[in-house]
Amino acid sequence: MSALLSRPWLRIGVGLVVPALVLIWWQSQATAGGARAIAFAPLQSVGTAFVELAESGLIFSDMLATLSRSLSGLAIGGALGIATGVAMACWRPLDRVLGPLLMAIRQVPLMGWLPLIGLWAGTGGASELIVVSISAFFPTMLNSYEGVAHVERRYVEVGRIYGFTAAQRFRLILLPAAMPLVLTGVTQAFAFAWISSIATEILLGVGGGLGVTMQLAQTQQRLDIILVTIIATALLGFAINQLFCSLRAHLLRWQASPL
Amino acid sequence: MTPQSRIAAVAAPLVLILLWQLACLSGAFPAQVLVPPSEVARTLAALASSGELERHIGESMFRLGLGYVIGALAGLAFGATIALSRWAEAAFGPFFLALWQVPVIAFVPMLVIFLGIDEPFKVAIVILAAFFPIALATFDGVRGVPRTWFEVARVYRTRLPDLVWRILIPATVPAVLTGLRLALTRAWVVLIAAELLAADSGIGQMMEMGRQMFRIDVVLAGVVVSGVIGFALDRGAKAVERRATRWRTA
Repeated sequence: MSALLSRPWLRIGVGLVVPALVLIWWQSQATAGGARAIAFAPLQSVGTAFVELAESGLIFSDMLATLSRSLSGLAIGGALGIATGVAMACWRPLDRVLGPLLMAIRQVPLMGWLPLIGLWAGTGGASELIVVSISAFFPTMLNSYEGVAHVERRYVEVGRIYGFTAAQRFRLILLPAAMPLVLTGVTQAFAFAWISSIATEILLGVGGGLGVTMQLAQTQQRLDIILVTIIATALLGFAINQLFCSLRAHLLRWQASPL
Repeated sequence: MTPQSRIAAVAAPLVLILLWQLACLSGAFPAQVLVPPSEVARTLAALASSGELERHIGESMFRLGLGYVIGALAGLAFGATIALSRWAEAAFGPFFLALWQVPVIAFVPMLVIFLGIDEPFKVAIVILAAFFPIALATFDGVRGVPRTWFEVARVYRTRLPDLVWRILIPATVPAVLTGLRLALTRAWVVLIAAELLAADSGIGQMMEMGRQMFRIDVVLAGVVVSGVIGFALDRGAKAVERRATRWRTA
């Protein structure tokens, strides 16, 4: 029986059954009338909403806004994260002071900072960017720290034999050896920044973006628009993640592949 | 942990609190921007003695507990099913992976339309947040069980309940427990976000109300409480994980 599944067309067909059933169920709920039909948007209206959003270009400007917010957050939080992680791994006293402090800060759920930052920076784009930057900070900081702190001792010893200066040791040994984990951190940080961009947009609802459109559509009871934005979120998130993974593989192509 | 780092672990937050207190005493920050830790402690004590804090924590914990248990059971069942049956995997896998691409938080507006902003919505978002990581961890855990073990079970004509109880569960415990722990912390983070949006009680709502009324002491108290709860959940789950996997190294 299971051998049948090795045929690709059959496998794809089986995979399409469940989504098709969900769509049929959805459509029947939407056309059944009554109070539920208001919540379930019929499929054709989802299609129209997509055409509408695509023609007005709104969906693309939203994607761009969310993407640029994530990337700005990644640039700010990621740069600070890498710098802090590397500094903490290189200089023990800093690690002792900052380490427990950052761990304490990390315990607070990210969105829990939003009310506080909202009080400080207002409920605008600045608060959104700060929260997104914080979300990108921790994965890069932790991974860079791990990467530099756990460089194999023999590499460092070889450097000592060659009489490397501190700068040479950092550039020629620590940095390349830590690179895989640093890049893992950046990839994780992008995923965090992406999610927290959507979250802050939904919670604050300012400045444009996929989350803002979703939130607005929710107040207008436009489930069709919400579905289009959810699909756009999924596709874009998936695409960027793939891009980061292949970028990571490209940057690390000099590494021997693990056996 | 060396004694030195243990001291540092305690000393660093104390130093932070001290600096924070001194910064506030110096008058550099107006009270609308930052209040001293002593003030936050006083607010916490007041909230605790009026029973308000207990109510908020209780509500949040109830939502977390209920949603997490439902999400975890569904995730375990689903993950095990698609791992054990190739047909189930082919049928549900692609749909599951497509949904997995959507951040849980992006389902919030849709759930609000279907469920309103009351209790069912908050429990539902916790269920979703718990379901996906647990289903994936269970799938990976069950797939990681060597095929030969199943073959041995077949040779012995092990019945399904015995197969689940004596082979599947012990073999998958470590992966599943890690998934359960990660899901618990994620569910807590998502719940706080959902409570910020809409709630009449809960830690997230306490902070949001504090923000709207410019009560920075209440907001900071909420930050502290949510951090302590998050820490306790993670530590508790890690302790359970260690206990349950102890036999492996023994």
